[in-house]
Amino acid sequence: MTNDFEPIIVGFLCNWCSYEGADAAGRARQCYPSNLRVIRVMCSGRVDPQFVFQAFKQGADGVLILGCHPGDCHYKDGNRQALKRYTLIKSMLDAFGIEQDRLRLDWISAAEQEKFVQVVSEMTERVRQLGPLMPRANPLKKLDSNRSTRIENDMRFLQRKHKKISTKARKIESTK
Amino acid sequence: MSTVRIGVFICECGPNIKNAVDLDGLSRFARGLDNVVVAERFALLCSLEGKDTLAKEIQRHRLTRVVIAACSPKEHEHTFKQVMAQAGLNSFLLQIANIREQCAWVISDKTRATQKAQAILEAAVNRVARHEPLEIREIACLPDVVVVGAGMAGISAALTLAQKDRKVHLVEKAPCIGGKVARYEDLFPNLECASCVLDPLLDAVLHHPNIQLWTLSEVKNVLGYFGNYTVEIITKARHVDLQTCIGCGACVEVCPVSVQNEYNEGLDTRKAVYLPYPGALPNLAAIDETHCLRWQSQDCESCQQACPFGSIDYQETDRNMSLKAGAVVIATGFDLFDVTKAPQYGYGKIDNIYTALEFERLVNANGPTQGKLILKDGRVPESIVLIHCVGSRTPRYHQHCSGVCCSYLFKFAHQIRKKIPDATITSLYTDMCLPGKEAQPFSDKIAQKTGLKKIRIKDPAAVTITQDHGRPRVTYTDACDASKSVVADMVVLAPAITGTKDASSLGTLFDIPLGGSGFFVEEQTSLAPVSTPIEGVFVAGCAQGPKEIQAAVSQGQAAAGKILSQLVPGQKRALEAMTAAVDTELCSGCKICLGLCPYKAIVFDDTQQVAGIEEVLCRGCGICAATCPSGAISARHFTDAQLGAEIESLARHTGRENRS
Ligand code: FES
Repeated sequence: MTNDFEPIIVGFLCNWCSYEGADAAGRARQCYPSNLRVIRVMCSGRVDPQFVFQAFKQGADGVLILGCHPGDCHYKDGNRQALKRYTLIKSMLDAFGIEQDRLRLDWISAAEQEKFVQVVSEMTERVRQLGPLMPRANPLKKLDSNRSTRIENDMRFLQRKHKKISTKARKIESTK
Repeated sequence: MSTVRIGVFICECGPNIKNAVDLDGLSRFARGLDNVVVAERFALLCSLEGKDTLAKEIQRHRLTRVVIAACSPKEHEHTFKQVMAQAGLNSFLLQIANIREQCAWVISDKTRATQKAQAILEAAVNRVARHEPLEIREIACLPDVVVVGAGMAGISAALTLAQKDRKVHLVEKAPCIGGKVARYEDLFPNLECASCVLDPLLDAVLHHPNIQLWTLSEVKNVLGYFGNYTVEIITKARHVDLQTCIGCGACVEVCPVSVQNEYNEGLDTRKAVYLPYPGALPNLAAIDETHCLRWQSQDCESCQQACPFGSIDYQETDRNMSLKAGAVVIATGFDLFDVTKAPQYGYGKIDNIYTALEFERLVNANGPTQGKLILKDGRVPESIVLIHCVGSRTPRYHQHCSGVCCSYLFKFAHQIRKKIPDATITSLYTDMCLPGKEAQPFSDKIAQKTGLKKIRIKDPAAVTITQDHGRPRVTYTDACDASKSVVADMVVLAPAITGTKDASSLGTLFDIPLGGSGFFVEEQTSLAPVSTPIEGVFVAGCAQGPKEIQAAVSQGQAAAGKILSQLVPGQKRALEAMTAAVDTELCSGCKICLGLCPYKAIVFDDTQQVAGIEEVLCRGCGICAATCPSGAISARHFTDAQLGAEIESLARHTGRENRS
């Protein structure tokens, strides 16, 4: 089956390894699908779950988060935070009817231009198969109406679960 | 937003971008974007004329923000930031649209490349509209340095650093300096006498006007940041006056207590008041409170009475000192793998099995046997087996190769041959590691001269030592898989070199992670081997990884060089401008961010119940901003609004049609 759907993939690349890896692919003139649109962040740990939902809501068909390999993060362990959040976001995607495969986290070092190309190609192909997220307006409506309430509440809840927070802090939070 | 005037400058980059992207189309597209007042293409923006034109255009169009569509920001963001500053704009009001590495070079179809370039450009324009000018703050720095560890690396660093306008605090746990090397007899590769090479250096340290030596001292706490550290140390009471003691040893003679001497690897005993080993520098006695009778509530005063100079002071107490410094060098050296953990070697159970460090003391003229190589019962050994890779290169204990053992075992063979002309010397090795310009010729020469018998064994763990009529019997599997054994008078083991036992507590204090085998993790293995993830804290010598003396000295000097170039007396240090900021109105005081900051840069104000950022510590990773459930933390230059503008432009943009 041929499929001429051209998905939009928004990629968050950390400044120190993955963005370098993408640049290296460029310097090596390695062609890869033009579907990836890159946003440079200092660390994969900067990627707020909201960014991912915002990207889906505003038209992205897939989201890629790329960071340094575990142990190589320029800021010690920002990528570990990214991994934690990624698991969190994945578990929430289902709730909005977004296929989990539309989000991918991977580690790309500055030298791994080939892996970068491979990951981007695989991701593009996978999302191409899944088809556009847009026409099935449902999940996006859900995202829209829920953006400020549901997601945030869920996020807070899950984050709390990760870190034990004092009841006092929670009280302050709920009175806001 | 009426005052936002954005200029878009598109670089052809020679043929690189020009041939791959429709630049006229891209300029036209740019002119249609919000707030864009000018959009032009140029041949080569990073050239001298290019930069010149850019500066003029900025002024001519009274631009307030600039987007440059060109190569990767990694390549020329810095260049264009300088142009911004020249043209009188804050350099943070710039955004680079990477249409070369991300576009021209990786998409062969011109239409697609142009579409993607448009998306990238639109995102840049929408982002830059939300940029805020940032100020690069500078702080005054202390030029002084604390060096922890007075072994080869620490001493090299201290001597390189100490100069006019710069004081070095050299903090050493032992009562003497020179580390382990000062207790060796000969040095690889020239076999010169260790103390002849070292003593002048140690003297230079002791008499340097700008080196303050703190012996018997350990780091207890560390506060501050690059440029302004406070290192709190505790200096144990020596009970001997530094000024009047001449190290005559009169006190030692009369002391009634006898304990194992750790400075001779426990091979003999010392007194409770002691000089670590003959020739130890500084040449001063010290009283060891854990063993001295006075601290066991007895009334001994022998040493005080014997001292001809009245140097003994029982009242002296431990002192806490606060050292101020701009930077720190950690050079705490190594320990050997504890061979009792590998019972197959019989170490500690069978007599006449020694570790390499013990052997160094045995052959040392100042050692427990005055350099006589003898067995426990006083006989001269007739056969000695040297065993390589003890506890190293094996998944069971340590996976790394210590890199120096093969060389020093050849040195040992030479020393044995010199002392016992007719002893048989056998070495059991798996692979020879003799890198560099000296080791291979050195070992060839010694193997030939000493008649060393080299037996290749199957793998480092293929050795077991048992007792055979009181002598060690070494059973091994050779390279051909045959099980063989040899009985020897003496066995010398080359245990893996590991980080020191107290490295982990030091690592916690400085917040520097330890890697496998207890070595400090450097910032970047190949390019920043003496830097650590913490700015202003450097690591040198075997604390960073096993290495030979030459390499440890190089690292000490390299760490010093880094500091000399970064902490110039009288010069300020620029701080990171892209730091995090807390909106205290929004902060709910939940404290989630506190534990996540890799640099402990978030402080909590208990009275206000809000978080705040210690800007000198913040490195701008943005982890806290992504985590804050209240959206109270923003990452400067990577704010939600700025990244959100990019997300929106990129997610929506298709180039041909608008999907929203
Ligand atoms: S800097 Fe690359 S993941 Fe943190």
